[in-house]
Amino acid sequence: MEITVKQLNQTSVVSMMGSLDALTADEVTRFLSAQIGSGQKQIVADLSQVDFVSSAGLRAILAALKESRQQGGDLRIAAAQPGVEKILKMSGFTSILKDYPTVDEAVTSFGS
Amino acid sequence: MSNKHQMTRAAELESLPVFRDLIDAACKHHPGIDEQIRYDLKLAVEEACTNIIAHGYAGMNPGSIILTLELEPQQVVMTITDFGHPFEPSEPPAPDVAAGLDDRPTGGFGLFFIYQTMDEVGYDTTEDGNRLTLIKRLPSAEEE
Repeated sequence: MEITVKQLNQTSVVSMMGSLDALTADEVTRFLSAQIGSGQKQIVADLSQVDFVSSAGLRAILAALKESRQQGGDLRIAAAQPGVEKILKMSGFTSILKDYPTVDEAVTSFGS
Repeated sequence: MSNKHQMTRAAELESLPVFRDLIDAACKHHPGIDEQIRYDLKLAVEEACTNIIAHGYAGMNPGSIILTLELEPQQVVMTITDFGHPFEPSEPPAPDVAAGLDDRPTGGFGLFFIYQTMDEVGYDTTEDGNRLTLIKRLPSAEEE
């Protein structure tokens, strides 16, 4: 799993590449937790390059979502591929987090 | 005609992407298997193997996991064999997918995904190991 982060206004865009599965979930959890811990509480998780997410990956997203909201921020999903989008819906995650078709829309949604 | 593939790997998380690659490679040229079905197959295998690694071999030396994949014209039959503690993946209560964030359980989605994505789930334990059978019907086979 390759993870890069770029700062746009007050928002961190965290782009992941590869699969978010039981093997990589801990790494993603640690990365996102470190971001939030350093004060970056508005996060866009760019999933455009993520081809596979399992239940372990969902747990990593859920943990970061809770942590960011506890800090008064939020984690929003952007550009999920169709297979990933399907499991976000199947698990009901789309009702508890905001999910945008593009990174730009997710970043803009945080406002100024 | 059936098209059969088999792979044996250690019961460790590093094997998960290897099993997924096998499914991708085996299914790529099967006309009835689109990208979404491939995702379903990979998701069910991933969740089942994660359970075997976490629970099946808990407290034991990790053994192996054998994945077989049979591509038939109307269905895909996958079997996953392990030699750990039996861990029957009986159908779980559906997680409360409408729960708010604070009430949202962090686990329980693995078995839920297996049952959501597969058409048949079977399990038997013999002296030859524990065998989970997962069947996914292909769209043309669902037409009456």
